Amino acid sequence: MIAAGAVLALALGSLCCGGSDGREAVSVFSASSTIDALGEAAAMFEAERGVEVRCSFASSSVLARQIDEGADPDIFLSANPKWMDFLQEKGLILAGSRRDLLANRLVLAAPAGEAGRIEFTPEFPFADALAGRLALGDPDHVPAGIYAREALEHYRWYEGVADRLAPAMSVRAALRLIEIGAADLGIVYATDAAASDRVETVGIFPEESHSPILYPVAFHREPGPAALAFMEFLTSPKAVEIFARHGFASPPDPESGKP
Amino acid sequence: MTVETHFGLTPAEWEALALSVRVAVWCVVTVAAPGILCGWVLSRRDFPGKTLLDGLVHVPLVLPPIVTGYLLLLLLGPRGPLGSWLDSVFGLRVAFTWLGAVAASAVVSFPLMVRSVRLAMDLVDPRLEEASTILGAGPWRRFRTVTLPLTLPGVLTGLILTFARSLGEFGATITLAGNIAGETRTMPLAVFNLVETPGAEGSALRLVLISVVVSLLSLIASEILSRRLRRRLGGGRDA
Repeated sequence: MIAAGAVLALALGSLCCGGSDGREAVSVFSASSTIDALGEAAAMFEAERGVEVRCSFASSSVLARQIDEGADPDIFLSANPKWMDFLQEKGLILAGSRRDLLANRLVLAAPAGEAGRIEFTPEFPFADALAGRLALGDPDHVPAGIYAREALEHYRWYEGVADRLAPAMSVRAALRLIEIGAADLGIVYATDAAASDRVETVGIFPEESHSPILYPVAFHREPGPAALAFMEFLTSPKAVEIFARHGFASPPDPESGKP
Repeated sequence: MTVETHFGLTPAEWEALALSVRVAVWCVVTVAAPGILCGWVLSRRDFPGKTLLDGLVHVPLVLPPIVTGYLLLLLLGPRGPLGSWLDSVFGLRVAFTWLGAVAASAVVSFPLMVRSVRLAMDLVDPRLEEASTILGAGPWRRFRTVTLPLTLPGVLTGLILTFARSLGEFGATITLAGNIAGETRTMPLAVFNLVETPGAEGSALRLVLISVVVSLLSLIASEILSRRLRRRLGGGRDA
């Protein structure tokens, strides 16, 4: 009875406090591929400034649609420019605050201990090098999969493997397929390969083989002091060091993505 | 495509719809006999480990479908114990093929089938079965001529639930079978793709409407069927 009461109190409590506005808290909607790195950066910021950072991680598409339906975070960090454009066109971000925060690379990965040799040239017989399936984010909508198809088409490898793809619902799901050997090879972000010790990087796709992988960030609404401070912190050397350790790169042009 | 002009569906939509129905029909075919058997065992038999079997059967009802799909992938994937065996012995590949979509739906809807059958069998008057035994019917004949006909409405309900659950199956399917156009992209997966694409809300809504219409039609059809069945059963009893 007491336990049930406690649960109810907890549930109601979280309901009431969700929208408090006299806040020293920052709410961030961020793409799931940043879960480890941004989580660590947020924890450091919280410890240093005593400001709470509430992160919600999901795929960029889900977060963008939530914001479109009235969700009200301070900051949105998207794993690809398309969903940031989607919100910008609807006037749901402060366009002047938009900038590219992170960059990522695309890698070919194999289950640990099974990396073969791959040459990134059109002459390389990629279809023959692939015994089973090639895991990737669904090239129809998962950003990592869209980049992956670009890269495969760049080397004219796509046709040869089109009927042996294992399209996953997210890039992390594709990573899992490689980890358990359901796919012999896969294309994921460098950050994903870095996060798993059960996969091995066969090679990094050269930058010219696909569009640049950029993570734009922007304020969704007029920022308070805490949100401003957190945004500033995200570009500080400390945060950059955290992002780099998780495999992220800095955008080639620090001014890129700015309007 | 004549169908396209008839129903105003795009080829991709038609493909997803046709695949969904094909997967759902095969799911029903796969689940029917094991579901009836399992329902009968749980209703009529007592044996050590019955609670465990009951629990195991119901696990897919509790697990998030993505977890069910993942466990199935570990089992039926190219390197899974069952998957590699099926491939080497029968040349059957389940993961990332439409068979995987059937397997995912079948496992997820199995408890619904078993529950319906079991409930129906629990309600059969045991004296009718006893009477048939006294009149000389063996266990198989008793099952075929007494138990099964009397539980037919329950069996039918189970099959309809199975069909409906299969039409709506998403998580286990996308995890085990992937999202491959024409092979494993059923209606729910096609809707998911459209929702994940900026600006495709309209097409998503169209597919959702088609799904609703298909489900309604199949439910109406089953309702008509089960009414007829009940009338026949009732008629038999009166005579």
